[in-house]
Amino acid sequence: MVSLVINGQRISAAPGTTILEAAREAGIEIPHLCYHPAFPPVGTCRLCAVEIEGLPKLEPACSTNVKEGMVVRTESPRVVEARRNVLELLLAEHAMDCPICDKAGECRLQDTYQAYSLAPGVYAEDKTRRGKKIALGGGLLLDRERCVLCTRCVRFLESVTKTSELGVFERGDRSEIGCVEGRLVDNNYSGCLAEICPVGAITDSDFRFKTRAWFLEARETICPLCGRGCAVFLESHPGFPRVPGTAKAYRVRSRRDERVNGHWICNVGRYGYGYLEKSRCRELAGPLAKTLNLKAATDVVAPLAAELRALKYKGRQTRVAVVLSDWLTNEELFLAGAVFRRDLEIGRCHLVGPRDGSPDGMLLTAERSPNRAGAKALGFNTEETTLEALARDTDLLIVFGPFLQDRFRPADIASAWAGVKTKVLFTPRDEGLGAAFDLVVPTVWPAEKDGSFTNCQGLIRSFSPALAPPPSAVPEWRLLTALGRAVGLNPSFYIPFRSAGDVRRAMP
Amino acid sequence: MSHNIPDRVKRRVEDILSRYPRREAALLPVLSALQEERGFLSHSDEEWAADTLGIPPAKVREVVTFYSLFRRKPAGRHHLQVCTNVSCALNGADGLLSHLRKKLGIAEGETSADGRFSLSSVECLGHCDEAPCLMVNDEHYGRLDRRALDELLEKLE
Repeated sequence: MVSLVINGQRISAAPGTTILEAAREAGIEIPHLCYHPAFPPVGTCRLCAVEIEGLPKLEPACSTNVKEGMVVRTESPRVVEARRNVLELLLAEHAMDCPICDKAGECRLQDTYQAYSLAPGVYAEDKTRRGKKIALGGGLLLDRERCVLCTRCVRFLESVTKTSELGVFERGDRSEIGCVEGRLVDNNYSGCLAEICPVGAITDSDFRFKTRAWFLEARETICPLCGRGCAVFLESHPGFPRVPGTAKAYRVRSRRDERVNGHWICNVGRYGYGYLEKSRCRELAGPLAKTLNLKAATDVVAPLAAELRALKYKGRQTRVAVVLSDWLTNEELFLAGAVFRRDLEIGRCHLVGPRDGSPDGMLLTAERSPNRAGAKALGFNTEETTLEALARDTDLLIVFGPFLQDRFRPADIASAWAGVKTKVLFTPRDEGLGAAFDLVVPTVWPAEKDGSFTNCQGLIRSFSPALAPPPSAVPEWRLLTALGRAVGLNPSFYIPFRSAGDVRRAMP
Repeated sequence: MSHNIPDRVKRRVEDILSRYPRREAALLPVLSALQEERGFLSHSDEEWAADTLGIPPAKVREVVTFYSLFRRKPAGRHHLQVCTNVSCALNGADGLLSHLRKKLGIAEGETSADGRFSLSSVECLGHCDEAPCLMVNDEHYGRLDRRALDELLEKLE
């Protein structure tokens, strides 16, 4: 290890570490635009210049390695003065249209200017007019008046996607980011460009002009849209005034997890969040809800438990079929196994998830479910089943999840299951599937609950709610815990489960 | 995309490639060979070079737009390239440039209607000792003033 002093603080760092990274480890942030931990340093923005004792000039912290005995100052008057000068030059040709810029509030240039400069511009000349909405492909728009030519976008496409759609064309003060005619940015990771752009030069039409960054609440969660389970932030707007359960999701951003996704997420995960609201199942529905006078989702538990218990006592549990999904958490699948397989000895527990897609060779996997590995580990059969097999000699059908529609047409479901006496659906989404059921119970999406998933690499990672569900929706683990207790075959087993974490601790 | 590259250019490029350790390294001479054929580099030329050298088209575009010696539009018979870098600027390059603009009726990057002249401003031509200087196609002329320039233009048909 190398020992050095930064701002009077003695720190040690591995040989080969840069000053910027060593300082960051020690909690000292050095302003920068072009540096990104995923790429080798290029040192183009000059903002990270720091003072090193014994050296006549300031050195870029992003591309200078630590040395034994080095004494570095990152906030000395000389450094701050240099930073101000660099900002003056960067802003000399910058549009300064922050009031209409999507990046405002999360802009590195804006933040650094506010922290170190706040000086008015000194140039009398007009700024150069450049293209302000150049389509780059993938729904991305380039504003050349805002671009600081850090080349993060160019380097991302060069080293991560290896597609190199963008380049720096022309030279000197005419330099600009661009793509070749007919070769727009076209890859499954293009959304990362708007995220890594340190200023508002590349904006994303999915987010553009929808809200301001400072209204958003970013919460950690895991992307459920494929087997990788990338770490993400789900950003939602709480609304004015704040009404529980009405926050709207506006954006999904990648969250660094070196074990799984590094710094990136794919476009499927980034832009796919529309499922959270689309055809949302918000209220208890179905003819049985009226007949039994059920008001809330949890009211379903008692009559369902009574029915299941009655069938079990008559030895007719063979006339029950259960459909689960690999969008359920490990805890929920464990509880479902305990209630349906262990306690009630129901043999027919099938798993129906979304159809597989094609993998992209990087992060996106073929399976479009977050927990297929977890379901397999808990002994669930992931092989396909048929509507007829589920309906044969069945009096009670219990379905979790909205994914039957991915495999079967609603009309076919209705006709194949016409002879089944009672059909209950627990789902966060109802796209006309509910019509085939006697009872539809609103549940929540993974982003709205506690739990854990096992990803395609076998990593088990837990998560907490990132978004409040509709007020009437109840997480599946809560319903299953209540059902297990109400069925009454092993009630003490379920008593300690007051959170998904309690369930997790009871799991083998 | 059909590239329409003549066989003799292809043979030249093969010869160039045989002299470089990596195909990518031959980009500048290959672009020069392509430009000599038509007097400028078309989009299709760029794509062919990218394809032949195994590099992304955006990288080729970077190089083509970086160097002022590569042109993306046809030039006139006489391509006037006026240096505007430090030494020439100090010795009146701006005056020469505005004189040419007025006299030829074209701005930088344009070609006169009769196809006789094209005008560009370029960075240092390496003849600071003879500033201000310019190049006409591949020929170099130094120590210029308006009169010397007028005489030079007369000689260029």
